[in-house]
Amino acid sequence: MFESVEDVQKRLGAQGYICDKNIATVVFLATKLEKPVLVEGPAGVGKTELAKVVGLATGRPLIRLQCYEGLDEAKALYEWEYSKQLLYTQILKEKLSETMAGATSLRDAADRVGAEDSVFFSSRFIVPRPLLQAITAAEPNLLLIDEVDKSDPEFEAFLLEVLSDFQVSVPEIGTFDAKTKPIVFLTSNDAREMSDALKRRCLHLYIDFPDAELEARILEAKVPGVGQRLAEELVGVMQRLRKLDLKKTPSISETLDWARALLALNATSLDEGLVKDTLNVILKYEGDIKKAQAELGRLIARKADEETAKPGAAPAAAPAPAKKGSLH
Amino acid sequence: MQRKLIDFTNLLRKSGVRVSVAETIDSFVALDEVSIGDREVFRDALRATMVKRGEDIPAFEHLFDLYWSAFYDGLRDAFDKAAEGQPGQGKPDLEALMKALQEGMQNLQGKLDLSELAKALLTQDLSKLEQLIRQAAEQAGVGRIENMLQVGFFTRRTMEQMDAEGAGRELRDLARQLREGGMPDEQVDALMALMERYLEALRQSVRQYTERELQQRNFDYMEKFRRESLLEKSFYNLTEDEIRQMREVVNRLAHRIKNILSIRKRRLKKGKLDLHTMLRRNMAHGGVPFEVVYKQRKKDRPKLVILCDVSSSVANVSRFMLQFVYQLQECFNKIRAFVFVSELGEVTQLFKDLEVNQAIDKALDGGDVINVYTRSNFGYAFHHFWKNYLSAIDNKTTVLVLGDARNNYNDPRAWCLREVHNKAKNVVWLNPESPSAWGFGDSVMDKYLPSVDIAEECRNLRQLSRIVDKLVL
Repeated sequence: MFESVEDVQKRLGAQGYICDKNIATVVFLATKLEKPVLVEGPAGVGKTELAKVVGLATGRPLIRLQCYEGLDEAKALYEWEYSKQLLYTQILKEKLSETMAGATSLRDAADRVGAEDSVFFSSRFIVPRPLLQAITAAEPNLLLIDEVDKSDPEFEAFLLEVLSDFQVSVPEIGTFDAKTKPIVFLTSNDAREMSDALKRRCLHLYIDFPDAELEARILEAKVPGVGQRLAEELVGVMQRLRKLDLKKTPSISETLDWARALLALNATSLDEGLVKDTLNVILKYEGDIKKAQAELGRLIARKADEETAKPGAAPAAAPAPAKKGSLH
Repeated sequence: MQRKLIDFTNLLRKSGVRVSVAETIDSFVALDEVSIGDREVFRDALRATMVKRGEDIPAFEHLFDLYWSAFYDGLRDAFDKAAEGQPGQGKPDLEALMKALQEGMQNLQGKLDLSELAKALLTQDLSKLEQLIRQAAEQAGVGRIENMLQVGFFTRRTMEQMDAEGAGRELRDLARQLREGGMPDEQVDALMALMERYLEALRQSVRQYTERELQQRNFDYMEKFRRESLLEKSFYNLTEDEIRQMREVVNRLAHRIKNILSIRKRRLKKGKLDLHTMLRRNMAHGGVPFEVVYKQRKKDRPKLVILCDVSSSVANVSRFMLQFVYQLQECFNKIRAFVFVSELGEVTQLFKDLEVNQAIDKALDGGDVINVYTRSNFGYAFHHFWKNYLSAIDNKTTVLVLGDARNNYNDPRAWCLREVHNKAKNVVWLNPESPSAWGFGDSVMDKYLPSVDIAEECRNLRQLSRIVDKLVL
């Protein structure tokens, strides 16, 4: 596990995830206190990514539970395998009649069957779903409960038991305790507020859009070969775009997509025409695109100033070394 | 440290950040794991364990700065300045002075009996000083400070509590002993001058501390006031800025109502056994009913027809009502929205096509279908509705009217509303005026009341959210 906050930063960095101290501190605390982390923030800032990368950095396999409206116990915790139970009863029919062969009365027969019923309600017939998997796995693992805000409020009740005690109770069998406590990440886009009971059990991490410097570093780590100049211009435009009142504010994942698109177009620097043509990579609504087009001059204005300030600046620095484990 | 943390927790709670006891304990445990020396890490650790809502982060950051950094930094600045000496007299050689002091004190060993404060001053132990000031301030009851005029009083009381005067006496006494012990006069003088300045710096710091305490108190007062008032404040008196904040609040309320609704629906969802489907689905198991199937109850979502007065006198109520309706569109089976001043026009399509703020702005502007620059005429509007849209109403429809019923002495034509009432499930009227004003002046509310099932005063957000809750039940 991690030794210090700096160690977290370093090891996540080695996996291609550049993070600030705030994120590193929370991740470090989560592993130390063995508490789940509730990660909130706008879409596309790398919430899910963080969980995956922590899994890679600690060498733990990732178990993922994607939440959606209507997700219930049977799909998240466990389910009885009815058809398998049925099949077994059919196959074992003869064995059953053997068991009951000497029974003198109906009550006696029922008692004998009753004595055997634990066979049919044992872990043999349970289909473990992600939560139970994470609890019963022999290897230490990392549980990612993605977009927990999409689930129904009552689903939180199941989560509470898992998150506070790391155990799952199955009425017919008993309680499964975690052999090793998994690291748990919950992500939320704030579609609804989680209950206080859930929040109380978690550490809270709010990931916001990164500042220009961090975004440029992320860009260089994730899209090697983008070149310093293009990266700076790109980030500049993105930072200004985010200040506009858009329906869907573009986030880091859009920055990366855009960089890749521009790279595919062999661009080494931005100009108005190029931005105009590729705006649909970063903006997902017609209205947003129109709004951005109207502001286009202002968006890349700063860039033009810089150009006059240093004429003939060397284009595109040497491409950064390719990073392994790019997860997008 | 624990005391300080608990104190800080209380401060957070007072400013409306919900911090439970378990979370405080978490923060203790967390601080054992990280180095407190790094302020950034320290802050992040506290934030991760104590603050669980995005909205609370600004309040936390503000209080953190006030509570943890500002005071210690101020204390350090004050003492640094004191150590520099009087302007124009040159900087005293602190190191030499301290060395001499140490030697002198060693000679006096055994005969010395200094208070903690005097010791801390002599050794410039700032964290000890900070601790002493906090203790003394607590005993002096600085936490009860309420206004600017009390700063002097509490500063004095804190100084007395610390026995700063006593410490000064002890230091003078020490100087005498040092002189007798053979320390050169000029060094003793320099030391005493330094100590005098330190005492002054201490007084300043205590004053700063009390002022800061007052600031913290004001901060949470302000915050709480802002939040509550937005819910209670009459729609008539909202400023531009508040309208913007209000949108957020309305959004949150709408989300909450949606949540409550989803729970209610789920509880209702399962009905009786569905024998047909069950048999069919269990054919694979040889007809043994392993999977039990229940009939799904039909979702009984209300239909809603909104008649919204958009004359300037009720524009703000209409705005938030429409925002609610927009957010809750999926909770209703069908929504039709009409706006009127005297003419009536349908704006349902706007709700489907446009993004929320645009839709509402446009609807309030008449939605290109009506002229909003006329005088309200409820009678005319209802008549128009009765004539053209009565077919939109069936026995599952709730009709929601929003307006102040100030009819400018026109004919109320109450019979139109009565006809609508006869066909609809419910007629709800929201009036931003208080019931005592209904029927006075040009208000024709009393004429309409017989055909209205629920008539409510709706002047602020609290009332509005209560009504919306009732509506979607």
